[in-house]
Amino acid sequence: MVGLSAGEKHFIQGGIAQDLRADGRKRLNYRPIYVETGVIPQADGSAKVKMGATEVIASVKLDLARPNPSQPGKGKVSLFVSCSATAGPMFEGRGSEELSAELSVALQRCLLGGKSGAGAAFDPSCLSIVDGKLCWDAYIDGLVVSADGNLLDALGAAIKAALTNTRVPVANVPAGASLDEDPDVDLSSQETTRIDTSGVPVIVTLTKVGRHYIVDATSEEESQMSSAVSVSINKERRICGLTKRGGAGLDPSIILDMISVASHVSEQLMNKLDSEIAAAEADEQDT
Amino acid sequence: MEYVNPEGIREDGRRPLEMRHLHAEIGTVARADGSAVFEMGNTKVIAAVYGPREVQNRSQQLNDQALVRCEYTMPNFSTGDRMRKPKGDRRSTEISLVIRQTMEACILTHLMPRSQIDIYVQVLSADGGTRSACINAATLALADAGIPMRDLVTSCSAGYLNSTPLLDLSYFEDSAGGPDVTVGILPKLDKVTLLQMDARLPIDIFEIVVQLATEGCKAVANYIHEVLLENTKQLEYRRGL
Repeated sequence: MVGLSAGEKHFIQGGIAQDLRADGRKRLNYRPIYVETGVIPQADGSAKVKMGATEVIASVKLDLARPNPSQPGKGKVSLFVSCSATAGPMFEGRGSEELSAELSVALQRCLLGGKSGAGAAFDPSCLSIVDGKLCWDAYIDGLVVSADGNLLDALGAAIKAALTNTRVPVANVPAGASLDEDPDVDLSSQETTRIDTSGVPVIVTLTKVGRHYIVDATSEEESQMSSAVSVSINKERRICGLTKRGGAGLDPSIILDMISVASHVSEQLMNKLDSEIAAAEADEQDT
Repeated sequence: MEYVNPEGIREDGRRPLEMRHLHAEIGTVARADGSAVFEMGNTKVIAAVYGPREVQNRSQQLNDQALVRCEYTMPNFSTGDRMRKPKGDRRSTEISLVIRQTMEACILTHLMPRSQIDIYVQVLSADGGTRSACINAATLALADAGIPMRDLVTSCSAGYLNSTPLLDLSYFEDSAGGPDVTVGILPKLDKVTLLQMDARLPIDIFEIVVQLATEGCKAVANYIHEVLLENTKQLEYRRGL
């Protein structure tokens, strides 16, 4: 990324202070969001989300496996994010490892819940086939194709859309089959079930520049930030995850204020996403 | 195993000399100097070009021409079974090298000395012919970036199964273990820049299969021409001409 001159930095900070950002948005406006589902034919569920110039793809793949002995009635879910070199030369080779790890951990915290399975975005018992013996392992992969700021929000939206798009095959295990070795699982019936994603939270990142917070920062605005707080909020306006980035210290009252602003913004974002995802699914069914 | 049934139809419903459906889009990655998405059937590839720009590693700088670098990656989810190690494995390194050499031959590198051109190719969905799709995507991305080239490079694969030459193999046909010939040509100059084959073929059949792949390359070149022309019209329209 080309560096910013002192004049450009001043312009960005001044604009944010006056509630008029460089691209004309207000502080709490998102860029136009485009959602497309079913973009990866081999995956069981996939989605592409574009927020301005930021483009991310999420895919969900299901594999047959044994469930965890401590949670026999649930499938296992794992989540990883990687950044493609197409987003910029800084992601070439191993350059993307640090950012990928940071994004993966933040998303895992928001979406996968704790060790006991509490607080997960969706109920993994929908992935179970035979209690204690057979289940689906869900691998959620995120890929950043083009990076122009606000990657966490875009990835959260893409994963929500990909999970909505996922069709879990209905597996019929013949009665009386021994399940201690590899059983013959019948997947020939083309029926599928869907995952209930109404509980999947959205992620809202608030970036503090000067004395004000903005939502959906571009990478130029992010370079001017003092700190950023990402809040993951679900439909019931409950907080599912919280991450603070950036070196500057924040007064606790400011953090509480940021959380309430994020909660307010999340409602609009949730509605917008739900309608975009529904439209994308309808489009995909038509084609 | 039957790859071409007695009526002459392949596993995905195509005829032996039929290519898969092609689709391309230019300019998808806004931050890159040039970018393109290229689809051949279910194989979907995105390429981004950054350059010409200053050489990052001074020791690699060439004083009389541009340095061309290429990285090819396949993410975990792109193939049927989820892969373990997406970057740096030997197949990726080999394909990166192949794409770099093919593109380097057609870029007019002597016009941009002491600079660097980076081509990043990311496979989104792999269903056979990824090498060819990558080269086609890279050509479009370089054209979108405005990098001077001798000619477009287009690529296509062909094989020979059940005694029938087949054009544009899918993953299912490729994994049959039969011969897989990948050809890359400069369509206007009518020259071959890439030729790779595995398995065995008698020489006379080899000539037929290479000829078939070359015809496929020319069909891809026609499509790429149309896409670039349409893109230029859109640019003119936006400038108000």
